[in-house]
Amino acid sequence: MTAIRDGYYMLNKQSPFFNRFLTRHVSFFLCLKVSLVLALGVFLQSCASYGSHATTMRDGLLIGHPELSLAIAEEKDKDLEEVVSSLDKGMLRRINNNYTGSNQVFEVAKQEIEKLYGFSVTENLASVTINETMRGYEGDRYEQLLLHAYMAMNYIQLGQFDSARVEMLQANVKMMEWGDEPDEDAFLRYLEGMIYESLGEDDSALISYRKAYTVYKEKGGEQYPVMPERIKKDLLRMLAWQGLWNEYKTYKKEFDMLDFKPVKDSNKFGELVVILNNGLAPIRNEKALYIFSPEVQQNLRVAFPAYDQPKQNLYLSQISVNDKQLRLETVEDIDTLARYSLEQDMPGIMARATARAVVKYNTQKTASDNSSIAGLLMTVTNLATERADTRSWTTLPQEIQLQRVLLPVGEHEVQIQFVNAAGRIVDVIEETVAIQPKRQSFVIKHWNTPIPKSKPGLKVSAEGPGVQGDTQETAVARSAK
Amino acid sequence: MNLHTPTRNQYLPLLFGLMFLLAGCNPTVSRVESDTVTDLSGNWNDTDSRLVAQEMIQDVLSRNWLSKFNRDKGKAPTVIVGTVRNLSHEHINTRTFIADMERELINSGEVEFVASADAREEVRSEVKDQDLNATEESRKAMGNEVGADFMLQGSINSIVDAVSGEQARFYQIDLTLIELGTNRKVWVGQKKIKKTVEKGGFRL
Repeated sequence: MTAIRDGYYMLNKQSPFFNRFLTRHVSFFLCLKVSLVLALGVFLQSCASYGSHATTMRDGLLIGHPELSLAIAEEKDKDLEEVVSSLDKGMLRRINNNYTGSNQVFEVAKQEIEKLYGFSVTENLASVTINETMRGYEGDRYEQLLLHAYMAMNYIQLGQFDSARVEMLQANVKMMEWGDEPDEDAFLRYLEGMIYESLGEDDSALISYRKAYTVYKEKGGEQYPVMPERIKKDLLRMLAWQGLWNEYKTYKKEFDMLDFKPVKDSNKFGELVVILNNGLAPIRNEKALYIFSPEVQQNLRVAFPAYDQPKQNLYLSQISVNDKQLRLETVEDIDTLARYSLEQDMPGIMARATARAVVKYNTQKTASDNSSIAGLLMTVTNLATERADTRSWTTLPQEIQLQRVLLPVGEHEVQIQFVNAAGRIVDVIEETVAIQPKRQSFVIKHWNTPIPKSKPGLKVSAEGPGVQGDTQETAVARSAK
Repeated sequence: MNLHTPTRNQYLPLLFGLMFLLAGCNPTVSRVESDTVTDLSGNWNDTDSRLVAQEMIQDVLSRNWLSKFNRDKGKAPTVIVGTVRNLSHEHINTRTFIADMERELINSGEVEFVASADAREEVRSEVKDQDLNATEESRKAMGNEVGADFMLQGSINSIVDAVSGEQARFYQIDLTLIELGTNRKVWVGQKKIKKTVEKGGFRL
């Protein structure tokens, strides 16, 4: 801009005629340029992809300061209108031990998802003319079910098991609504079974365990790569307790667990249930591609979301209690579910992207037929608005892991240990658990990465909005080994 | 692409603008009588709560456990409210219809209520405080509480059947009066509510 001004100043000295001419025209071009830059800025700002926001937000989790992540999440979408922001807020409040606040914002997300039911004419029109982010985000089906699962876990941690049960029933209704071939979620069914069991409803628990096993089996390979051993044991145990011996024998043969003996229901024992949310879900990034459109005989640029990072290797995790070590088993591989879900959506995304590219090409063409400036403006606008929809619930863990163990009634020191490839323990979460007779005691934790003990120069303010209770004492005692 | 007549094109942005305006207008508030039926989402609401309270109150006062107790003991029975478990698929506040019931029963003069466990704790701490700080004549002594004769317990259950966009919801509310000491059930009240919910297939 200084160059224009300098040139203008030089010319100014030369002739008064030129002067008048330039005043008019330079100011016109200046105006145009400024407005163009402004317009572009507005576009870029409003369309800043969710993926990049998520990356910044998750940094706090990766350095062991979840309250920083929460503060960033709370800053965004203060009116709680976007489902994806509310999901993040809920999860981060949870991680910061604010279970009530987490459920408040989750409940808002749940209602917003309900509002997004039905086919929206305007949003779908916008998705084929502007971009995909104009569509309301209601979450993929696995995310919608996990919302209920995490609300239930919040209620469990608040000691409100009846309310956790309500969440499970709501998830049931949701799956029922989805039709003949419901998108069942194995972990949700497993959790449902455990909630029923802790409420003493063993008959309902059996049905849930049976369903969980069926989902692990039927969706095995693609969505559930590994069948957890634990579910087999729980199913057999519950069948034995209910006296369904024929089914018991059939499953025993199917599982090839002929030496399995179900434990007796005893007043001297209670069960410890450890649920570990390990790692972080993958983030969608924007990719662009030129595809040939036979309709307009041109190569057209389209943007679409992709998981371009490979799956992370997780640290091995185990629980240690009473000198016994037990591996935690993966009961929900969210990374796999996320990739699978996007893969399923891809044909639709690409179809809409192609339609959009054709519409945009045509607007550019008509505009440039009228005037070259209008054509240029249209091209810039179309390029700037062509954004991929990178929204997904990125504060979910990479995997949900589980282990259950019977313990004598009383207080126990439980450790969740993280082991690296060399077999060294790199981090430990410690917790004291009171085991009650015939009851389930839940320990539910989130973990991402081992944190180096001292981090010089890193100051943390615990006063993020919405952080309640004691955030410093994150209930996770970390000790460096 | 063929352009339409310019006049037609001029209206398009206007139309879009109007749509956005409609979508984001200010909330309108209008006051209604508290017994108006307002079914919005199909979820459990105040109307359901009121229907349950009405049914239960009518039933509990017309059954013969009351007269029988009066005849045998020569006084009005004292009732305490226990837990009403929510086993339905919704987060239902059971306190609303229980409070309605309490009010009606107390006002009828035929049944007395004692405060629930939580409320008692608060009252006791107040009495304890009076022991230290209140004057001799206004001070209330401890150990004068009335023990309840019956406990009111119950549950809400629901059955939901759904296909895409359509739901049939059935709620059953069961309340039981159990005689303390003997564990006899003296009254069982029941209210069933059924509704169908249809969701629109389109939105703006």
